[in-house]
Amino acid sequence: MEDVLNSLLLGFSVALRPDVLWFAFIGCLVGTLVGMLPGLGPLAGISILLPLTFGLDATRAIVMLAGIYYGSQYGGSTTSILLRIPGEAASVMTCIDGNAMAKKGRAGAALCIAGMGSFIAGTFGVIMLTLLAPPLAAFALGFGPPEYTALLVLGLIFLAYMSTTSLIRTLLMASLGLVLGTVGIDVMTGHFRFAFGISELGDGIGIVPVAVGLFGLGELLATPSRQVKGGVTAPRLRELLPTRQEWRESALPIARGSVLGFFIGIIPGSAHIISSFISYALERRLSRQPDEFGKGAVAGVAGPEAANNAASTGAFVPMLALGLPTGPVIAVLMAALLIHGIPPGPTLVNDHPDVFWGFVASMYVGNVMLLLLNLPLVGVFVNLLRIPYAYLYPMIIMFCVIGVYEVNHSIIDVWIMLIFGIVGYGLKKFGFDPAPLVLGLVIAPIFEMSLRQSLIMSNGTWHIFLERPIALTLLLVSVGLLALAAISAATRDWRGKLAEAEKTSE
Amino acid sequence: MTLRSDHVAGIFFVALGLLVFALSGDLPFGTLSSPGAGMMPKLMAGLMIAFAVMIIITANTSRPFIEIDWSDRWHAILVASTTAIAIFAYQKVGFLITMSFLVFTLLVLVERRNALIAAVYSIALTLFAYWLFGKALKAPLERGFLWF
Repeated sequence: MEDVLNSLLLGFSVALRPDVLWFAFIGCLVGTLVGMLPGLGPLAGISILLPLTFGLDATRAIVMLAGIYYGSQYGGSTTSILLRIPGEAASVMTCIDGNAMAKKGRAGAALCIAGMGSFIAGTFGVIMLTLLAPPLAAFALGFGPPEYTALLVLGLIFLAYMSTTSLIRTLLMASLGLVLGTVGIDVMTGHFRFAFGISELGDGIGIVPVAVGLFGLGELLATPSRQVKGGVTAPRLRELLPTRQEWRESALPIARGSVLGFFIGIIPGSAHIISSFISYALERRLSRQPDEFGKGAVAGVAGPEAANNAASTGAFVPMLALGLPTGPVIAVLMAALLIHGIPPGPTLVNDHPDVFWGFVASMYVGNVMLLLLNLPLVGVFVNLLRIPYAYLYPMIIMFCVIGVYEVNHSIIDVWIMLIFGIVGYGLKKFGFDPAPLVLGLVIAPIFEMSLRQSLIMSNGTWHIFLERPIALTLLLVSVGLLALAAISAATRDWRGKLAEAEKTSE
Repeated sequence: MTLRSDHVAGIFFVALGLLVFALSGDLPFGTLSSPGAGMMPKLMAGLMIAFAVMIIITANTSRPFIEIDWSDRWHAILVASTTAIAIFAYQKVGFLITMSFLVFTLLVLVERRNALIAAVYSIALTLFAYWLFGKALKAPLERGFLWF
């Protein structure tokens, strides 16, 4: 414990440096704006702005990008409450009661409760991250290639199990991502794979063009301006304070949402969406007045908002401790660290303590910053929503092109972005979730390397995965999840309801 | 039999998997004790085909293909085409002209906005981006044949 506190002090000495504070502020501000803008989620926002961090050191870069990530969660709740437009699926639950509160003239209170809930949950998540990530990383130092292979298999199966689309669809997308991840030079044999004589493809297909294409451009292609509603009323500053009764009603839901969200966040998959959905269902079940839900129940805003913010923080645990991305946003953040020459994983905490602890400490600071930034300035931020979408999306496309091009100064990357924009549009039409594709693409090199190393170690026998206890346990959990998925496929369980909720956000 | 969306999607992914097999023909699979460069692509393409076949088999639960809403297709085609032209021109013509063209064309051609307002907006926005990326962040932007 003393070690953790000392390390955290080191982290604060980094996070409170004026230059790091400045980039945390920029990240939080941009994240809030990104969360509010329709058609621009945190993933596209981070990907587009990734090149801006190239001139920075790794600490400032990751602090800024993480600020965009959790800032966008705050920003997403603003549009949900004021406009009933969820910035992303995680905010669907906030829409229901948050907008109902706004219609009753309690928009300010709903925003304040969402902001406070996010702050408390985010801070709780960082405390848990501080305590859990270092011991988990120390444990993972004993992992060899078979354990990593099994861990990645479990990650993919978990993702498929938790997905709102069917298990088969998710695994299909993940295998497509894994195929795409094999493009480029094979590091073990030097063979060029699927490069078609294009030298830029030697390093493989980049995550940024694929992510920006699928989640940024793809979304814009499928959103004609006539479908975007306008009109917004900004609440006044004095209307922001909830009543004593509203505070009382929100306290326990925030506490429950924080714990629930953090632990769901650690699991690969659409954690922040699932956590807000489960939190809403839980609060409704525990409420003495379940009929109030849907008509402006305070708990219906407080619980899901706390849960999705805690889940966002929880998702950093596997990335920092194991080098395992649990979602596409975390995958892009991982790519950002790699671009800066820092491999995330169990060695991060020992090899780069300033980056690890500086990043953790910056999350404490970032949560305070977001609270101070979001509540008093909500009236200013909502003015952004007055810009007609027709003028907004050409600007976003321009930033997509610049952002992708600046990563490698490669026009091929921009073409890849356009191709994946069209692919994203097509996937949306056919009901496929592109997130597993991005995850497959990210883990493909690690997965291939660890699988091949395992087979070489064992002289070509698959038994190596059954002879090592950790690998065997991880694979057994994977099999168990597949069995559970097969059983629940016949019944309409919580995933079916979640899929419905996601559809309403589209 | 009604053609359903999952029939079409499944057939597409089977074809894609077969294409990967065809393209990776010259990559050695190796042996299990010494896996080659072709092992992973072929394994994953095989898995992709298997999952795609499962999707075709269970396609009856998906909606009919003709019910897919393509009403936004012209918007998508116009935006994608304009972006493609801008990407093609970017390195040749340079940042300022290409980006102004991109924003202006999207506003006038796709959104049917007033040409004068669109011109002012697209030039102002491009100059702002030029200042932000090129000057403030010192990111090297393409100059093109006109050197700006």
